[in-house]
Amino acid sequence: MFKYFSILRINWIHSLEYRANVLIGLFAILSGLFIEYQIWSLIYESNNHSKIPMSGIDGGVNFNQLIVFIFLSIIVGQIKSSWVTSSQMIIEIRQGLINKYLIRPISYFWYHFMMFIGINSLYIIVYTLLLLLFILIFPGMIFHTLISVLGFIASLLLSIYLSYCIYFIMVCFSFWFGEVRSLVLAYNLAMLMISGQYIPIRLFPEKVLEIINWTPVPYLVDFPVSIATGIIPVSDWSHKFLYSFIWCIVLTVLSYLIYKKGIKQYEAYGQ
Amino acid sequence: MYIKVKDLSKSFKLFKRQAGLKAAFKSFLNRDYQNFYALKNINLNINEGEIIGILGENGAGKTTLIKLMVGLLHPNKGTISIDGYNPWKRNYKLLSNISVVMGQKNQLWWDIPASESFLLNKHIYNLDSAFYKKTLNELVEYFNVKDKVDVQVRRLSLGERMKMEIIAALLHRPQIILLDEPTLGLDVISQAKIREFVNYYNKEHKTTFVITSHYTKDIQEMCKRVFVLHKGSSIYDGDFQSLIKNINPNKKLIFEFCDDPKDAFINSLRNTFKFNYNNRMLSATLPESNLQKLLSILLANHTANNISFEELPVDDTMRNFFQNPNKYIK
Repeated sequence: MFKYFSILRINWIHSLEYRANVLIGLFAILSGLFIEYQIWSLIYESNNHSKIPMSGIDGGVNFNQLIVFIFLSIIVGQIKSSWVTSSQMIIEIRQGLINKYLIRPISYFWYHFMMFIGINSLYIIVYTLLLLLFILIFPGMIFHTLISVLGFIASLLLSIYLSYCIYFIMVCFSFWFGEVRSLVLAYNLAMLMISGQYIPIRLFPEKVLEIINWTPVPYLVDFPVSIATGIIPVSDWSHKFLYSFIWCIVLTVLSYLIYKKGIKQYEAYGQ
Repeated sequence: MYIKVKDLSKSFKLFKRQAGLKAAFKSFLNRDYQNFYALKNINLNINEGEIIGILGENGAGKTTLIKLMVGLLHPNKGTISIDGYNPWKRNYKLLSNISVVMGQKNQLWWDIPASESFLLNKHIYNLDSAFYKKTLNELVEYFNVKDKVDVQVRRLSLGERMKMEIIAALLHRPQIILLDEPTLGLDVISQAKIREFVNYYNKEHKTTFVITSHYTKDIQEMCKRVFVLHKGSSIYDGDFQSLIKNINPNKKLIFEFCDDPKDAFINSLRNTFKFNYNNRMLSATLPESNLQKLLSILLANHTANNISFEELPVDDTMRNFFQNPNKYIK
């Protein structure tokens, strides 16, 4: 297991080689939050400052509640998103660079999971500072109890793993089609909308929500954010965690099967 | 650890299209796939501690064979067994005992010093710290790259990078090492160092080496045994020197006379042997047995100022061979 942590370590070392990239990445997150704030304040003003109806919350939410929910959704969305790792994996498969993993006693799935964690975790320090700032600016709106902090962390870990499995399955299609970055891009764009990363899914019509609830999508962003903001009562956590966990198992098995099938027809070009 | 390859075949599905936008659109809608056989019915046994060279022109199937041996590719037919393991099952015990170096951009992280990649390999192969330090020191000192291990890989020269790749591949002291074109693009000094290293490492650790190279000198200096592929089929498996002799049994003799031989003597020799004679120098390119006959006649009648035998350039011999291998191999 220690070998996988050393991948995390080397990934941090590698990322820190490019200071400008790290700083620009951080700036991108802050600017995203600022833009969202501006958009939602305009929407709120045009709604005559009345409460916005939101599924699961009686009487709807005020501006502060909404903005906390959205800020938290952006942060969770960023933590679970992958463009760098999945693009790299697609290039590796297409150009035969995956060979260097296959000739060593290491799992390709877990190697890149640690890479995925490594790349996103560099920003976690900033995200944590932002969360602390939210707690100060919007007191009593997030992390009401210690258990909600623990619940948030657990649901966030499940969200990261679920998200990685989805990316991994998409990446595996490059064994057949070569270039599938447009698929990943389309998924990322779709997720911005339907996972609640930029627009809370709780604002969607009930019928749409019903369909989304049959997929792993609510467990990517909405579930951790709802725990942090106290929208889901503790009594409802267990079955939500169970569904999330079941999705993790289903997607792990699917990842394994698709990878196994793909690697069999891999042609190891390039190297 | 031994390697057994039995009835191995591998084919790839390829599609061809002509150049141009029209052909690109046509190919987008309808692709004409063809099967290309990279390897056909290959049988090969490699013993523990052997250095074997895999020879063949571009596209002969050398790299495909290496990739099949380490489990990167799945065969269409046949089996490979390495010490009883099936390589494409990717058993970690087997992977901990083999290593592959393919090209100069392999295991190392490009943007950070090689020492970081070495440390990563230490953890991947679960190496004991003392063992790791000992092996690393041995390899770093052998390749004389102590002052380069902490430099970003992308800033290293091609030769230095290749040495680092080899170090990374050997840190876990594998029992089987597969080198695909290890000297490609390197200067003569680096090439010689790598050849010298393979021989040293094989002798010191009884490691099995499977090497592919386009440089005949690599094969000549490292491999006693060669396995020759031609258009995906095996055409020779055996001693390299015997192959060379079989292709070109001739050697060159240069005989320098002390004094001028009589014309009659030279003319009488011309009836039996083919040679050039000019200014007391006789040079003949003939099969070894004929050369010996010629030399004994020369020495019986004249004193030599100097005698030398020259092997014919192996590169030329191999070029002739690959131009028409069927001519030499029955």
